[in-house]
Amino acid sequence: MKELSLNILDIAENSVKAKAGLTEILITEDEKTLKLLIRDDGTGMEEDFLKRVTDPFCTTRTTRKVGMGIPLLKMEAEMTGGSFRIDSVSEKKDPEHHGTETEALFYKDHIDFIPLGDVQSSIVTLIQGHPDTDFLFRHVMPEGTVELDTRELRAVLGDEVPLNEYEVIKWIEDSLKEQYEDLHS
Amino acid sequence: MTVRELLEQGFTEVTIPEPDREIRGAYMGDLLSWVMGRCREDAAWLTIMSNVNVIAVASLANPAVVVLTEGVTLPDEIRILAESKGVNVVSTELPSYEAAVELSKLIS
Repeated sequence: MKELSLNILDIAENSVKAKAGLTEILITEDEKTLKLLIRDDGTGMEEDFLKRVTDPFCTTRTTRKVGMGIPLLKMEAEMTGGSFRIDSVSEKKDPEHHGTETEALFYKDHIDFIPLGDVQSSIVTLIQGHPDTDFLFRHVMPEGTVELDTRELRAVLGDEVPLNEYEVIKWIEDSLKEQYEDLHS
Repeated sequence: MTVRELLEQGFTEVTIPEPDREIRGAYMGDLLSWVMGRCREDAAWLTIMSNVNVIAVASLANPAVVVLTEGVTLPDEIRILAESKGVNVVSTELPSYEAAVELSKLIS
């Protein structure tokens, strides 16, 4: 995709579809690499499905012959000399600890590295579209960390205020923007 | 012009499971997610990419033919996959722009 932030949106939507209560979106950058880790506590995948999930001709959608989100992310990581892995434990296998973890490692100095893009918008879009599930976003950079945890927001706001209410979304947007600006000022 | 007729115009067969498909227009692009939403059905899709995802995007967007430019070829297992999915693939030594110019003369 044109920006990694769109891949993040795509993979996190998979988590929500898998009935995740909490989806963690963790980006860790150093001088040379960017690691994207998306972890959820959703229903997970059966082993045989997990094996086929990087195959573009495999999908959970019935309207399409192929699902491209995971194969494209894998390709984009490997194009930079990086790597990709996806692990999953199905709810059937372990009713207590289940979910999916997707990790992509990128080398930022490779010419084919796709820029991260507008990750703030992706996070806001996710929260706005799925106000009843929780998201933890953490972006670790050499100059510092940006973090947003909807569980903390919920603790402050109480259960009556939906997270997709205008004022809340605005606050989230501003909070992310300020955190990034503080790091780069 | 049909995909079969391309072969008489200097394009090389990689695999052509559906030779009688008519080509209507063309699209050029290598960023697969971008192509997926923009390449029209029955177009000739020009690309330098040659991995399994190309075949997947082609089977979604349903172009008449994938034209691999700049001398790019398909690994054998991917050629076989293309064949089994009914995806026509030809190749040319021409760079993408020159290949598009050639195609423009042929299909207009």
